[in-house]
Amino acid sequence: MRGRLAQLSMFGVAVLIGLLLVGQLRSQQRPVELRTLTPQELSGLVQSLSQRNRELQTALTAQLGQLNSYERTDVEGRSQLELGQQEVLTLNAFAGLGAVQGRGVVINVQGFLDWIAVNDLLNELRNSRAEAIALDGLRITARSVAVQGVDGVMIDGQTIGSSFEVSAIGEPDALTSAITGPGGLKSQLELYAQATLTIHEMASVLVPATQRDLGFTVAQPVE
Amino acid sequence: MGREPAAPSRRRLSTRTQWTLSVAMALAIVGFVGAAQWNSSVQRTAFTTSAQQVLANQVTQLETEQDALQARIEQTNGKIESYQKSAAGSEADLTQLNAHLAAARAAAGLTRVHGSGVRIEIADSLRQVPPGESPANYLVLAEDLRAIVVALWASGAEAISINTYRVVSSTSIRAVGNPVLINDQYAQPPFVIEAIGPRDQLSQFESQSAFLSTVQRRIDAFGLEYAWAPLDDITLEAFVGVPSFREGVPVRPTGTP
Repeated sequence: MRGRLAQLSMFGVAVLIGLLLVGQLRSQQRPVELRTLTPQELSGLVQSLSQRNRELQTALTAQLGQLNSYERTDVEGRSQLELGQQEVLTLNAFAGLGAVQGRGVVINVQGFLDWIAVNDLLNELRNSRAEAIALDGLRITARSVAVQGVDGVMIDGQTIGSSFEVSAIGEPDALTSAITGPGGLKSQLELYAQATLTIHEMASVLVPATQRDLGFTVAQPVE
Repeated sequence: MGREPAAPSRRRLSTRTQWTLSVAMALAIVGFVGAAQWNSSVQRTAFTTSAQQVLANQVTQLETEQDALQARIEQTNGKIESYQKSAAGSEADLTQLNAHLAAARAAAGLTRVHGSGVRIEIADSLRQVPPGESPANYLVLAEDLRAIVVALWASGAEAISINTYRVVSSTSIRAVGNPVLINDQYAQPPFVIEAIGPRDQLSQFESQSAFLSTVQRRIDAFGLEYAWAPLDDITLEAFVGVPSFREGVPVRPTGTP
């Protein structure tokens, strides 16, 4: 009887140790739950998600308008074709296969930036909702990345020199403040890369279409 | 004969001592682990303020809202697509339009695609952060993901996704503190990056300077968890969103109506 009691006690202790060890190991993993993020991180997330949701809401409204247009065109075949052609134009412009014109900024860069800095600059513009970007007249698509080439930094096979120009379409204030704001890329590049960035807000910027073939050779659409 | 009774007594004593030692040791372990657990729990509980709770609830609510909006966009998109496919007009015009639409959708990343490629997984280090060192060094950062994406595009990738979020022309990968946002959606580790492209070229992504100088260096220094494998067939989800312009206007190519 005493032996059975002792066995049960040991079993209980072993279970307790197991539970505590699991708890301890889990607590040492990265706390990815929302409740463990700092107030600053959470505020940043709230801000970003809110902005994204506003954009999605706007996009949905536009899409519903487009759907409504299709519904109203009834059997007017010609206008349905026109709507489709407009959609092709927009999609191609988004992908980089079509030119885009609108308000934005032109950034003149003087100094040798490495591939990381060039990609950071492009990423920062995307963070600030740039709608189309070109570097020295070369359209930046999703696939356009700066890499270290033999003769320097290259994008889509084109070498970037010590002086280049980036054009971006988007809200000029947002684009400018993202680059020039406190701790922004401008001050970092001027400090660490001895580069000079000059930003001009423009009423109209033309970003050309890419000359690159964005077709697939391996990827196939899923029907 | 006089020594006979002593033997069971020694055995009893010995067994009791063993039990006592075992239980004492077990209780000591329970005490140690319990204290460690209590200490970390105290730290975590103290960290969660009511303001954080409110913000965390807001994040959850916004994520739910985002999911609902994306679902509606996908649904509406499907309806528009079916209108486009059935648009009246001459057969030739319709065929040509649908071909252009399909190509434009694919180029924009709005189409699910499949093909051979690679899958990369990267997660936070499991190492203990040494005292005085920044815990961020042991986490996967936005810059690691950007470097992997650069290395993959530079290795001939035709389509890329991170945690199923498709990388398109407007995609930004950024950090808000330590959390990472991809297409402004909150993404958590482990991060799964999938790319479709020519397998022999894609398999060379680790030799790209973007990978070597950023990701490989941090894997070596801080023990980020990392693995990759070539795959015969993977499917990448389409970008969920509506390509639209607020400031820009698509320029109609010269010579088109």
